[in-house]
Amino acid sequence: VSDAAAVQLELAARTDNVAVVRQAVVAAAEALSADAAVVADMKLAVTEACTNVILHAYVEPGGPIEVELLALDRGLTIVVRDHGVGMSPRPPRLAPANGSGLGLGLPLMAAIAEDFEVHGVPGGGTEVRMTFDLERSAVTATAEGSAS
Amino acid sequence: MLARMQQSTIALLRDDPTAIVIELAGEHDIHTAPELRERVADALSQGLPLVVDLTPATFIDSSILGVLIGAHRRLHEAGLGFAVCAGSAEEPGVRRILEVTGLIPVLPVLPDRAAALAFARVAPEPS
Repeated sequence: VSDAAAVQLELAARTDNVAVVRQAVVAAAEALSADAAVVADMKLAVTEACTNVILHAYVEPGGPIEVELLALDRGLTIVVRDHGVGMSPRPPRLAPANGSGLGLGLPLMAAIAEDFEVHGVPGGGTEVRMTFDLERSAVTATAEGSAS
Repeated sequence: MLARMQQSTIALLRDDPTAIVIELAGEHDIHTAPELRERVADALSQGLPLVVDLTPATFIDSSILGVLIGAHRRLHEAGLGFAVCAGSAEEPGVRRILEVTGLIPVLPVLPDRAAALAFARVAPEPS
């Protein structure tokens, strides 16, 4: 981690706060001149991480989501942490009526981040740590384009 | 830093008597997924094909994908056509999740509303 800025946020695990976290990530990524495609991936990844906290971490709603944005020389690490019960099934209050939960959050994060880790938090909780390069290489972009 | 919030809207359009269009604009996630689910239920109650137009949307997450997949299944069960359109513009906040999840041919996702409406008006084959 360089001497560059480290941003820390703590918000209640509520659905309306996910956009707030997303905007903070966009601001940090754009300040680092990240490629637009990388910013889009960061937005998606942090949204999925916060959604997992909201759906799975807390038995009672509104526990904290901690977010850290750590600037690297050529990247950004996004840390999303909770102090809940871990990756438990979602409580009934959040179960969609048509059962549309896809379980895509973790696979999506793992697929789009350059580096992806999930850890338990001492005392209870889960920490997701995702690192993104600020530039999308031409090789990667071409491969992704041809795969679509 | 946090003032640049784009307004997110979900509109159910009944301009076309042969199909219903739900149009999403702005960013959509777990916060707006329940409203989208309600609009899909409204559309289902009309007994008409459904198109979800993501062209004005700038971001969707897996919560929204879940609603779209649920809509696809429920309309298919009802013998009604369904399609999504995402526009021809490369909006990475929408296009990326569709590409990574491989859902473009599944939903299906078409490039414009006219193509999506034409697809949706063809009732699905019973499975």
